[in-house]
Amino acid sequence: MGMNCKPDKRQLTRRLIEIVGKDAVLADERELVVYECDAYTLQRNPPTAVVLPRSTQEVAAVVRLCAEMDVPIIPRGAGTGLSGAVLAVDGGVMIALTRMNRVLNIDPRNRRALVEAGCVNAWITRDAAQHGLFYAPDPSSQTACTIGGNIATNSGGPHTLKNGVTTNHVLGYEMVLPDGTIEWLGAEPDGGEEVGGYDLRGAAIGSEGMFGVVTTVLVRLMKTPPAFKTFLGVFESVDEASQAVSGIIAAGIVPAALEMMDQLITQALEEAYHFGFPLDAGAVLIVELDGLAKGIEQQAKRVEEICRRNNAREVRLAKDAAERAALWKCRKQAFGAIGRLSPNYVTQDGVVPRSKLPEIMRFIRTVSDKYELRIPNVFHAGDGNIHPLILYDERKPGQVKRALQAGHDILGKCIELGGSVTGEHGIGAEKIDFMAKQFSKDDLDAMQQLRRVFDPKKRCNPHKMFPGAKRCAEFAQRAQITA
Amino acid sequence: MTLKPNSIAELEELLPQSQRFDGVSLEAVAELIEHVPEDMTAIAQAGMTLADFQSRLAKAGQWLPVDLPHPQAVTIGELLACNLNGPRRFGCGTIRDWVIGMAVVLPDGRLIRNGGKVVKNVAGFDLCRLFVGAKNELGIIVEAAFKLLPMPEAEAHLAKRCESLGQAEELLEKIWASDLQPTVLDMHRIDGDPLTLVVGFAGPSADVEAQSGAANALGFADDASLDYDAGFRQATLNFTSVAPGNLISTLQKLGDEAFVARAGNGVIYHSSAKPVATPSPVLQKRVKEIFDSKGVLSG
Repeated sequence: MGMNCKPDKRQLTRRLIEIVGKDAVLADERELVVYECDAYTLQRNPPTAVVLPRSTQEVAAVVRLCAEMDVPIIPRGAGTGLSGAVLAVDGGVMIALTRMNRVLNIDPRNRRALVEAGCVNAWITRDAAQHGLFYAPDPSSQTACTIGGNIATNSGGPHTLKNGVTTNHVLGYEMVLPDGTIEWLGAEPDGGEEVGGYDLRGAAIGSEGMFGVVTTVLVRLMKTPPAFKTFLGVFESVDEASQAVSGIIAAGIVPAALEMMDQLITQALEEAYHFGFPLDAGAVLIVELDGLAKGIEQQAKRVEEICRRNNAREVRLAKDAAERAALWKCRKQAFGAIGRLSPNYVTQDGVVPRSKLPEIMRFIRTVSDKYELRIPNVFHAGDGNIHPLILYDERKPGQVKRALQAGHDILGKCIELGGSVTGEHGIGAEKIDFMAKQFSKDDLDAMQQLRRVFDPKKRCNPHKMFPGAKRCAEFAQRAQITA
Repeated sequence: MTLKPNSIAELEELLPQSQRFDGVSLEAVAELIEHVPEDMTAIAQAGMTLADFQSRLAKAGQWLPVDLPHPQAVTIGELLACNLNGPRRFGCGTIRDWVIGMAVVLPDGRLIRNGGKVVKNVAGFDLCRLFVGAKNELGIIVEAAFKLLPMPEAEAHLAKRCESLGQAEELLEKIWASDLQPTVLDMHRIDGDPLTLVVGFAGPSADVEAQSGAANALGFADDASLDYDAGFRQATLNFTSVAPGNLISTLQKLGDEAFVARAGNGVIYHSSAKPVATPSPVLQKRVKEIFDSKGVLSG
């Protein structure tokens, strides 16, 4: 690729320190360990150096230096990603935005917030709430993940069913291009939401850090709905809960969230958080309605009817805001509770058309039997976005390999059913092989054309997304040892 | 001349052989590919008119939530290429928010697909957003997949004539600060008619009734028509876009000029509007050069 994979590290470090100062450069092997992977831990490789800039100007200067020295750059937020999108496959300078984390301005009249890219997702709503406003996309990692990272992966979350994902809520942002130039894409902080020309803002959201380094972001805020109703529907089986999901959609109701958890997950959550989930239920459905009080009263009755019609054993209403908050806390920490079930797990992120949920869930059960691995499920049922968690123990021979194969089988089935291999986690380093299964060569070439607009030299977060990309040497080694 | 392919395959053959041409008519490429009500998604070919598409969706009580003027005269392809919208934009967003997949014939004849038919999908780069509003200058959109909404159980539109922009502003701020959730928040002054503020509500009937009542209390009269939009915008496509909080100060500068404004979005249609500024000229130029290197498509 013509990239300088082995830059003179001492010279690089010295020049980085000149730009951002000594306390903002990490180059020591021990310091770099933290940055060798994100929450996808199957592949690891340390970057050559990590910089922690404090301003757009510093970011731009670092990027220009890397362009001059022909070193790859890897933008990074909080490292909560689940697909290895911030893996430094071949070294390079990782630009971590965690020190640029301020909420710069909340503009209640225009329902907008201006924040630095390293700002944690949940901080926006924390600061906007006093004005009766909130930032809608709410990934489960929202208390840690950054808005810049959300732009990179076009993040969703449980509440995107009604409100949409990141691209529907980001009005504009500042980005340092791989050549060091600074561009503002989309609406400006004091400007109108219509911008002339091609929608570069939209085109670069979800580009997984391959188009440049996002530094400042203008988001849309929404009015906090005056009323909520949050139900827990308890079902004997995943099939019946899935039928209830279809029933709610067919009734013309669009809940704010429609989440499902199967028995293994609810058991693990109960053990961890003691919320009061039934341990013997096949599936639990969380249905949240929001809006005006009268309307959701009307819808709530219908949702309850639909759940009962599909043999819900119990439909429990969260009695107050505290119980609602506790329920969502449990749901969002579901992945964390898995530690109680298994030493290792790999999360998948497939999507199927909503009506195919029962079919994909049945398929996952056959995969679980075939590979003799437990696969609990917690997912965004309303969006058809599944998150099977494949449990394995890396110390046991063959389990890593079987876990990977199980994941491949499930994602392959998602494509076959008309879906996608990722709904919100991204392709990253993990799912590169699936791109050629989901898209034709021409489709992928067109994506590469878009990449050339922003990064003609392919120096920004290289070796991701596209088939044929270089892999980490260590990956093969580990897989061989444990498989 | 206008290209009139009989099929997508024919367009794939025609485009690379073409010199510059005036436009592409896809009237022969106008099928509804699928509508799955349980999934709340549908796929249509680009030559289908929006009115035709909506009437097919309505059979299952669903709709694509865009309400541009004259849907019988606008195709799905034009809707996307020109990023068109109407009064319900404040509550429903724009077509960018609803498109989930696309098939596009690039100037060199390659048929490419992006996105898919599921409502949540982040596999690969989002070319759909690039093609929406690109006026078919980068490729010809031939098919698109959308997420849909159930048709609202009830809908109501109300209007109030205002003596002055000051009075309109006061009302607007009251609505803005209230718990009301309007889907339409428009202001217009056309054909010598007085300045009028329009609000619309949609959703469960109990909500629409309660909100209409609240609007009545602010002086809004029931049963307003939204026809002003279609009528005015037949002649006026130019618009000015400002932050919503700057709407009134911008309108003050218009003097007596007729306008229709999406007050909630800060978009003002009026005949003297200058084209909205295009930032990042270098990147913009590069997009065109890379996607249409031979300059086959106008623009």
